[in-house]
Amino acid sequence: MMNKLVPGDGRIHIESSLMRESLVNRAVAARTDSEQELAILPHVKMVSIGGQSIFDRGKDAVLPVIDEIAALRAQKSHAMVLCVGGGTRTRHTVSIAVDLGLPLGGIAQLVGAMEEANAVFANALLAKTGSIVMQREHFWELPLYLEAGMMPICISIPPYHFWEPPTESPLPAHGSDFGAFEHAEVLGMEHIIFVKDEDGLYDKDPKKHADARFIARTTLDALRAMQLPEMILDHTLFDAWRDARHVKKVQIVNGLKPGLLTRALAGEDVGTVITKSVAKDGTKGARQ
Amino acid sequence: MSRQHLQSSLTGSPMTSAEAGRGLDYRPMAMMPDVVVLKIGGQSILDRGRAAVHPILDELRAVKDKKKLLVCTGGGTRARHIYAMASELSMPTGVLAALGGYVPRQNARMVQMLLANDGGIYIMHDDFEKLPLYFRLGCIPVMTGMPPFGYWEKPSHESRIPAHRTDAGVFLSAEVLGARRALFIKDEDGLYDDDPKKNPSAKLIPRIGAKELLKRDLPDLAVERVVIEYLARARFCKELQIVNGLVPGNVQRAILGEDVGSIIHAD
Repeated sequence: MMNKLVPGDGRIHIESSLMRESLVNRAVAARTDSEQELAILPHVKMVSIGGQSIFDRGKDAVLPVIDEIAALRAQKSHAMVLCVGGGTRTRHTVSIAVDLGLPLGGIAQLVGAMEEANAVFANALLAKTGSIVMQREHFWELPLYLEAGMMPICISIPPYHFWEPPTESPLPAHGSDFGAFEHAEVLGMEHIIFVKDEDGLYDKDPKKHADARFIARTTLDALRAMQLPEMILDHTLFDAWRDARHVKKVQIVNGLKPGLLTRALAGEDVGTVITKSVAKDGTKGARQ
Repeated sequence: MSRQHLQSSLTGSPMTSAEAGRGLDYRPMAMMPDVVVLKIGGQSILDRGRAAVHPILDELRAVKDKKKLLVCTGGGTRARHIYAMASELSMPTGVLAALGGYVPRQNARMVQMLLANDGGIYIMHDDFEKLPLYFRLGCIPVMTGMPPFGYWEKPSHESRIPAHRTDAGVFLSAEVLGARRALFIKDEDGLYDDDPKKNPSAKLIPRIGAKELLKRDLPDLAVERVVIEYLARARFCKELQIVNGLVPGNVQRAILGEDVGSIIHAD
């Protein structure tokens, strides 16, 4: 029981295992750790639809993806949360903001709006299948939506806003892929599927390099060791994944090829599949 | 069905790495460099109640017409109780970050009530853009120190405690406003090489560089570790000042720019 008030040193404490402790102290912080972690909604899958890769291609790319999601919704086979990226309007926003000399946190504050617009696009197209735009303030209504058989559509950018941590680059480091990842991770989801306009991950940008090599399967550790200069997903996602506990599989599929998203949701290893590495002793290695 | 691009310096960029920003002409401007961003400690000050809090607020009143003050609050023992309970229940770090947000908000409301007659006004993260109005009206905006990351906080390394708590929020508020310094009001004379409450032989460090401090790899620090890391690459907020708010006069002197307490600087 932790309910006792403890005075005596000029402060009034509440008895707890962290009472009077410095939370910066490594030994104290380590005491809060444990092998297991509560998985809040482990059966749900996160599907992220690319902004630049899908939305910016317009009707010819968007409608087949929407049709595929509508068919999945009709089957009611998966509980899923949809995330959308911002695309070229986000890039335009950042480009102008950098040129104007806005502070990094100011740039981060601006970019979410373009994703909100794409969430409205997606919701307008999918509303008849029971989609709903989920506002961040309604975080805990997610189980309600899912229980009601609906599919929430979230914006991906995390709410770091003015408080975006400084980087050497003028670009905010906590982007859409990272945000979708954290959203899935905190809810205990195990599988995230990114729908893009490439077959998956390459060792360099296939749009610029004809000799780019396709990577069908890899692990987080192997991918980090490769130190690829151009990635299809935010590098901060892979940094955060090291200490994450729930997400086991990050998959990238080509949304321009109908059927791949459906197969990925069914558990097939289409596109690129990145799994979290497992240590040789099979225990804690995932958290190196 | 090609991508329909808007032409810009980032057209077609994956924007997934720092590389994408290389070569951009970026000369950020300081939004409100003369704002003094300060934090009133939770465990160190607010949990002491009237005896510690009232004299500090008197000092804020004394300088409020000379300086624009953005007052932020820490959490303290109730936040520790929440983190302890949530850790025991194996909750994810993002949930701890969201739960940990409640306590500093309560503390900010308490401080606002005490400062109401002097223009104290409680603000939320969404009110941040209205700061120019509050300052023009002579108000003292009071807000939580916690940044708004909440459920989107990263999992912590070998810990469940969120890495970005109220120190980080205060530093990041100063950084985005373009303030040179963030001020932390605590109950010790500054930064020590160990927790002075537990180790009486801990030594005071009056001035130290961020990289130097990280290199010393101390088991405990007076400020959240991420803040020291960010300080090294900050564009505006190059100094953290830690002062003992229990010593009369310290808070005013620090607000007016004196180097009382400890200074951790970008190096």
